[in-house]
Amino acid sequence: MTTMHSPALEVAVRPRRRMPKATLLIGLVLLLVLIVAAIFPQYLARYSPTDFDYEAILQGPNAKHIFGTDNFGRDILSRIIYGTRVDMQIAIFTTLFPFIFGTLLGALTGYLGKWSDAVVGRIADLVVVFPFLVLVIAIVAVLGPGLNNMYIAVSAVGWVSYWRLTRGEVLTQKKAEYAQAGRVLGYSPSRILLRHLLPNAVSPAIVYLMTDMSLGILLGASLGYLGLGAQPPTPEWGVMVADGKNFMATAWWISTFPGLALTLAGVTFSLIGDGLADALRPRA
Amino acid sequence: MKRMTRAALALAATLSLGQALGVTRGGQMIFGRAADSLFLDPVLNDANLDIWILTNLYDTLLQPTADGKRVQPGLASRYTVSKDGKTMKLTLRPGIKFADGSPITSADVKWNLDRARNPDNGIWGYLIESIASVAASGNTVTITLKHPDPVLPSALAAFNTGIMPQKLFDATPGKNDAEKAKAFAEHPIGSGPFVLSEWKRGSYMVLKRNPYYWKMGEDKKALPYLDTLRFEILPDDNTRILKLQAGEIQGAEFIPLSRAPELKTDPKINMMLFPSTQVNSVFMNNRPKLKNGTANPLSDVRVRQALNYAVNRPALIQLVTFGAGKPMTSFMSSSTPLFDKTLKGFPYDPAKAKALLAAAGYANGIDVSIIVTSGSATGQALATTLQQMWSAVGVRLKIEQLDAATNTARYRANDFQMRASGWTDDLADPSEITSYFAVAGTTEAAHTGFSDPTIEKLFVQSQQETNKAKRAAQYKQIQTIFNNASPNIYLYETPYPVALAKFVKGFNQIPLGNNIFEATWLDK
Amino acid sequence: MHSSYVIRRLLQIIPLFLAVMVVVFVLIHFIPGDPVSAILGDRATTENVARANRELGLDKPLIVQFGFFVNQVLHGNLGESINLKVPVLRLMLDRLPVTLFLDVYASVLGVVMAVPLAILAAVRRNTWVDSLIRAVFQVGLSLPGFYVALQLLTLLGARLGWFPIGGYGVTFGDHIYHMFLPALTLGLNLAAILVRTLRNSVIEVLTAEYVDFARAKGLRSRVIMTRHVLRNALIATVTLLGLNVGGLIGGAVITETVFAIPGVGKLMIDAIFGRDYPVIQGLTLVFAVLVSLVFLATDLIHARLDPRAELS
Repeated sequence: MTTMHSPALEVAVRPRRRMPKATLLIGLVLLLVLIVAAIFPQYLARYSPTDFDYEAILQGPNAKHIFGTDNFGRDILSRIIYGTRVDMQIAIFTTLFPFIFGTLLGALTGYLGKWSDAVVGRIADLVVVFPFLVLVIAIVAVLGPGLNNMYIAVSAVGWVSYWRLTRGEVLTQKKAEYAQAGRVLGYSPSRILLRHLLPNAVSPAIVYLMTDMSLGILLGASLGYLGLGAQPPTPEWGVMVADGKNFMATAWWISTFPGLALTLAGVTFSLIGDGLADALRPRA
Repeated sequence: MKRMTRAALALAATLSLGQALGVTRGGQMIFGRAADSLFLDPVLNDANLDIWILTNLYDTLLQPTADGKRVQPGLASRYTVSKDGKTMKLTLRPGIKFADGSPITSADVKWNLDRARNPDNGIWGYLIESIASVAASGNTVTITLKHPDPVLPSALAAFNTGIMPQKLFDATPGKNDAEKAKAFAEHPIGSGPFVLSEWKRGSYMVLKRNPYYWKMGEDKKALPYLDTLRFEILPDDNTRILKLQAGEIQGAEFIPLSRAPELKTDPKINMMLFPSTQVNSVFMNNRPKLKNGTANPLSDVRVRQALNYAVNRPALIQLVTFGAGKPMTSFMSSSTPLFDKTLKGFPYDPAKAKALLAAAGYANGIDVSIIVTSGSATGQALATTLQQMWSAVGVRLKIEQLDAATNTARYRANDFQMRASGWTDDLADPSEITSYFAVAGTTEAAHTGFSDPTIEKLFVQSQQETNKAKRAAQYKQIQTIFNNASPNIYLYETPYPVALAKFVKGFNQIPLGNNIFEATWLDK
Repeated sequence: MHSSYVIRRLLQIIPLFLAVMVVVFVLIHFIPGDPVSAILGDRATTENVARANRELGLDKPLIVQFGFFVNQVLHGNLGESINLKVPVLRLMLDRLPVTLFLDVYASVLGVVMAVPLAILAAVRRNTWVDSLIRAVFQVGLSLPGFYVALQLLTLLGARLGWFPIGGYGVTFGDHIYHMFLPALTLGLNLAAILVRTLRNSVIEVLTAEYVDFARAKGLRSRVIMTRHVLRNALIATVTLLGLNVGGLIGGAVITETVFAIPGVGKLMIDAIFGRDYPVIQGLTLVFAVLVSLVFLATDLIHARLDPRAELS
């Protein structure tokens, strides 16, 4: 970014508060931890995530298994560590396409308005009112179960939120002084759109993206609960929580620790989201 | 004064009888079900959700015994079969009535049997297809058969020959049988120990005591003991158990086997594991090629046997059923009549499994896939455990969880390599499971594509064989041939897990699955 | 006031309705599996399945079936459930009120929890109060619904005995009491989303120039709070509620299952897994109309609250 027209940049170079940086920093450190676990699980985990151990079934937390074992004698901690990769994948692939596609489309139709906006609006309505599970089952039934097909189903639906958020923001920003000024200065529409409107309008979408990553993982868990998400023996946190459902009274550790992992990931995303929101907040 | 004495005497007599036999009458029992019934018609229903409670509403001419292995008198007090085996005479119990107090006549019985065997009505007609005609006169029903049928008594004790009142059914609005059945089944009046009083679909169903039921209780008065039986639909396993533990309900079905050991230690609960005819198997596609045209190693009998030898059943039973299961040694359950006790099944022998695979040319192992119904914790645990066990002999198992309807569509189209499925008998007879598992006939042996000419011949003979010893020998041979051909992976038999409040007495779920509430009472 | 706008929006529902009708029909008929073999299960023969299909008219070409379906809908008839053998409309009238009650209840609980706490978090931003509020709601956002539901049920229902375990009662008071835990489960999730977004939008207002200006003018902070902050918070809340209502109506499946509430969520999932075409189609159409109406309502409220917004 070279232009000084970007308010986002102005905020970044003119920090008013100290705390937001800390928020973002903690978030990024946690994210780094998750990334390391996702890339190098074999160096961090003591046991295989999939091998049964008939001698260690349903053991509570102990020196050998800090987070205990499940009903197949698998080490919960090792499964959580190996699960990081799967869940980070889910977080990214359930949101990446919807974010890019939805945001660009939102900026475009918000700026162009008229029929383009109306057409996309009607499609969005259709997607929103359509029962999501019917779509998931249709895709899974045709392509087979598994994470990839879940991504397709989620992407087909998820873009709508980003489209709405960005479009609404562009509609408001369009009338802002700097956009009017850009028009007066004779900037091309694409320059106004990409250089000025989009950077300003994208911040709600980015903040929502971070929430959406948590929601994406949760959706993976719900579909896993219905057997349509990650397939066994793949360790996935949401599925692990679901697997512990019948042991909550006798072996609380099976679902509690993966639940904590889910929460940790959620906190990470929300810290980054809030940090980014602070950094991106336009100072008009 | 005189009247009072008599009443007091009667009261005293009741009390002493009640105390002596320990039976208390009256009260309401709330039973938590995992899912609601769909359609309360004995003939046109399709699902166990209906079948397993239907006999509480519609009584049958004969009834399965409590162990599910034989039949006992029901609405008919006795029956005789002619020497040539082609005529059956049933004598109706005197004074039997429907739940509205109208008499149950032999004409009603004839109408019900004719309706049940009409091939246009539902899928169950084949159970009594041997019937050529039914005649009613007085309190006698005469059934003429196309051929001798050793299975008929058990079929007359099954849900689909449950007796409905013809007059009320005919008076129900509707253009044809199907429409009348739908309307009638909303508020059915039947012949069973209970009668439906209220039904809010997906939420609850209230059954009231049928005051006209014929069967006597231990206190020499008519059953049932309970005034009200209320089913509450509680789909989540944990919720069902919590509600039972909190005393909000008095019984809960389909307790996950993982919870059974823990509930056994609960002082307020009786954790029942009722013996069942439930067998759990993996069906293999026996055809040389799969639906997508690729070669199928499972068409080689040595591979199928190897997979059977590579299953460590005791470990599997521990992991998946938490010790509640029992290893299968035949395709039918050990509670099914004519089960061959001498069979050894497949002991765990990984070395033999490897040798068999090598002999079949798969020394480097094989890749196979299994479809299981999604959302079932047991199905998932089973597949995961098999995956682990088979990996020890070089078999790489891919698990595909599919929703029930997709799963069904796939195997109906023979588009699968392996699938896991359970089965329970509806009849106290081996013919039902054999016709489905071992005979090519209607479903290509449960869609495995397995077929054996000797089994086909033996089965046809056994369906008309009235000599018990000869029939037992035929079934012994069928089971031996089937074991050697090994078209299925035998897993385990599982009981019906039902948890009851300690004070609930006299409830039984028989091996055929029927929930019997007629003699249930509350000891409090 | 905006009557021509409202009429135009209502008219837009018609093409949406038609589109939903086509898409849902095509999609469910292309999914492998059919209601008949799904329900007849293992034991049915090919002839059994064929006969049942014939009786239900499922053997006819798809286009004919679609024509039949459209004709039915135009006559106000949503057909009959294949699996339950009762009219879809009756099922819906039975169950939709339950789900709507749960959704409204959950929204109320969610808003009641989220709005004051979000404003508090924004005002005290970057203090421990802020961190605590956000952390608590983050848990609600990160844990699967069935887990939260079961924990609430076990703790507040079974262990403490404050609430009944499942069910939904008979009278209005009963409903409020019985459905508190399920509404809380859904409400927590909603509140988590609301808190995150609201907090940001309130901070935005608080740091905006017109608020600085108002403060400079000497307006009391109470007035600033009500005039600017609350109104903006409400606008954001209404928008978010509108966005999430679709999810609420169709997405209460797991909550309804755990708490044994006979609503449309459970009905829908059973219908999908059982391929009960008429029920899926009927429910989808009703959802479509409901969600459209809610969107219209949120837009109208939005316009009332925010003078800058235009209805177009």
